[in-house]
Amino acid sequence: MTTRRFFLRNSALAMVGAGTAPLWLQRVLYAADAPSPRKKILVAIFQRGAADGLNIVVPHAEKRYYEMRPTIAVPRPSQMPDRREDAAIDLDGFFGLHPALAPLKPIWDDGHLAIVHAAGSPDPTRSHFDAQDFMESATPGLKATADGWMNRALPHAEPAATVSPVRAVAMGPVLPRAMRGANPAVAVQNLSDFQVRNAEASGAFQALYADSQDPLLHAAGRETFEAVSLLQSVRKRPYEPAADANYPRGHLGDCLRQIAQLIKADVGVEMAFADVGGWDHHVNEVGARASEGQLAMRLADFGQALAAFWLDLGDLRHAAAVVTMSEFGRTARENGDRGTDHGHANCMFAMGGGVRGGKVYGEWPGLEPEQLYEARDLALTTDFRDVLGELVRGQLGIRDLSRVFPGYAPKPCGILRGSPGNGSHAEARAST
Amino acid sequence: MHAGTAQQKLDLFSSFPPDRQDQLLENMGQGMRMELFAAAPPGLRRRIQCANGPQAMVAQDLTEAKLFRAVYSNRQLDEVLVDFWYNHFNVYLEKGADHYLVTAYERDAIRPHVLGKFEDLLRATAQSPAMLFYLDNWESAGSQSPAGQRRQRGLNENYGRELLELHTLGVDGGYTQKDVTEVARCFTGWTIRQPQRVAEFEFNPRMHDDGDKTVLGVRIPAGGGIGDGFQVLHLLAQHPSTAHFISRKLAMRFVADDPPETLVKRMAATFLKKDGDLRAVLKTMFDSPEFWSRRAYRSKIKSPLEMVASSLRVLNAQVDFTFGLNNQLTQLGEPLYRKAEPTGYSNSGQEWLNSAGLLARMNFSVALVNNKLPGVKVDSAHSAEGVTLGSPDFQKK
Repeated sequence: MTTRRFFLRNSALAMVGAGTAPLWLQRVLYAADAPSPRKKILVAIFQRGAADGLNIVVPHAEKRYYEMRPTIAVPRPSQMPDRREDAAIDLDGFFGLHPALAPLKPIWDDGHLAIVHAAGSPDPTRSHFDAQDFMESATPGLKATADGWMNRALPHAEPAATVSPVRAVAMGPVLPRAMRGANPAVAVQNLSDFQVRNAEASGAFQALYADSQDPLLHAAGRETFEAVSLLQSVRKRPYEPAADANYPRGHLGDCLRQIAQLIKADVGVEMAFADVGGWDHHVNEVGARASEGQLAMRLADFGQALAAFWLDLGDLRHAAAVVTMSEFGRTARENGDRGTDHGHANCMFAMGGGVRGGKVYGEWPGLEPEQLYEARDLALTTDFRDVLGELVRGQLGIRDLSRVFPGYAPKPCGILRGSPGNGSHAEARAST
Repeated sequence: MHAGTAQQKLDLFSSFPPDRQDQLLENMGQGMRMELFAAAPPGLRRRIQCANGPQAMVAQDLTEAKLFRAVYSNRQLDEVLVDFWYNHFNVYLEKGADHYLVTAYERDAIRPHVLGKFEDLLRATAQSPAMLFYLDNWESAGSQSPAGQRRQRGLNENYGRELLELHTLGVDGGYTQKDVTEVARCFTGWTIRQPQRVAEFEFNPRMHDDGDKTVLGVRIPAGGGIGDGFQVLHLLAQHPSTAHFISRKLAMRFVADDPPETLVKRMAATFLKKDGDLRAVLKTMFDSPEFWSRRAYRSKIKSPLEMVASSLRVLNAQVDFTFGLNNQLTQLGEPLYRKAEPTGYSNSGQEWLNSAGLLARMNFSVALVNNKLPGVKVDSAHSAEGVTLGSPDFQKK
């Protein structure tokens, strides 16, 4: 898997010493080596707190949905002809997007956004903590798994020195569970601050680590200063997103803007991770109308951030895929506080150049009492590892998925072009 | 109170009478409170934190005490062992009620036993509300028990599994999934009385599965009640796999990431001979040639807590309050009491080596010697020592 670029980079850096290469050389080595084949990229977004999938991708043709959510349901697309901003945006006659997700509709229409509904972790836990843990380790029910699925999904590279020091990047202060493990992965809290803040000390540190007799510290120091120096030119150049890419202010927008910045800088990123909290709406989930309230605000941020990222990538879209997940869904019925409690299955989004979009995937389990999980939650019909597995194979080229998802054999859903599929909700519904 | 330095804000705030001050604290936002905090004397700092939230105050006091002890205690082995055993029997502070249960957990279940018998430690953790809540055992009911029948509750295997895998035998300790289920059945009814109020351990016979069980080949006859759990703990505390697992983990902490098997075997032999006497196991380790060997000397990478504590001590820093240090530990990857997974933080030093972590260590070092960390004062004569603290040599222990 050695690309010419990284071979060049390492041999050149070996000559001049890591991090001391002049800027022009770094630019030649890192960015301007156009003929090298660009790797595909997988971006994972975790919505922490259990997002309410039934109000995000709304089953507006289900009568039961409206019966169970008398005050917080998102109205049918046809219901409010004069106030369309307060009704679901129809996708296929059965499902509709929450109106705050309007920025995603063009991507759906272009066939680059797919949805998998009734997806998630088969583990019955309704604990945020356990469920997030299981989703990030991708071993539901097994708490002692030490590493995360993203780390295990990093393609093996021999020799290890030939890969980019920033091939796996998580936005945040520490590596998320999903990216922890034996393979190197970098946590970046803020790209503009990924450095030793004191220039004089930085040089001294670099020399000390280069001279260290301890092989691990020597290597870690090299890896660090390589990443710092690799990102230095990226960091120093003010970043201008594409003209029409309006990232929302806030954490997710910041994360995705920086991920786009890294991807466009062509520094060898193969996977990236960002998370966004605030989805645990037990009380007053929806405001006076569907376009108002806590969920609408979170979704406006979410939809705008994803759409901006998509526009920002420009012609690099073909290489990138984004997948979203949340630890579990919420109760099918609203509770007494105009909110929802912890549930089971949820919806996942997949967006990318290779995604076969414009389609809601997965078997729809229905919302009749006997169809609900434990008589209260949307039942699960697609294991989240089926979705992740297909993307890991398609984007990262991993053939043997048993290493990434131990004890489980992912079944592709068909969300990527060129992979076999199980079909869409439309087929399942045709029989009802 | 919008403009001006923290000191000017404090002066303005202090000019109000005390009863008006409390009202002001209640009404101002958290952002403004924390601005005041930066310049506030200790008494006011507590009032500010209380206004931020009493629950957060409990957690804040807990982490503060841990850092103070780590830096200033004269009983360093005690503190290292409390850190080791808390981490071994890890509980995540951010999980619901554990936000206020971990204080008593560390004080009553861990600290008194770190130089005592392993079985006492194991029993104390098994009966602690913090652990019962963290690993969900408090909700676990036998499916045929009265409570299980009535409330459609069932068996929860979380605690049973971690008890075998992480607390005693180790993942290769020779147990099966069937053992996990049987152990979980034994612990049904080990629950918490009034978790939101009293939060005491309680055995509830109406939740207990009173049938026959077999654990690791040993039959536990029906009708044992609370005794089922004690029998399991006794069985596990005496098991050779436990002796080996615990000995190896201690040697990993004190000797090397991959400790010599000869040493681990001698420690395990002591563990079995002395009925799990942890003081005797440690003594075997400290008296061993492996512990004093050249290979083991400074062979490990410090954890972030060790790095921070040793930096403060080597500079003779004066620590006034610790929220700045706690933020640093989060940046370094070891937020105290906040390891979500029951595995705890790794005892392998290598785990701490990653780019973000190393950069954070370097930046911490430079900030510390330049007096940039709130609540910490360092003699300005040390301002050149930042490079030393962030150097490769100082990362080792």
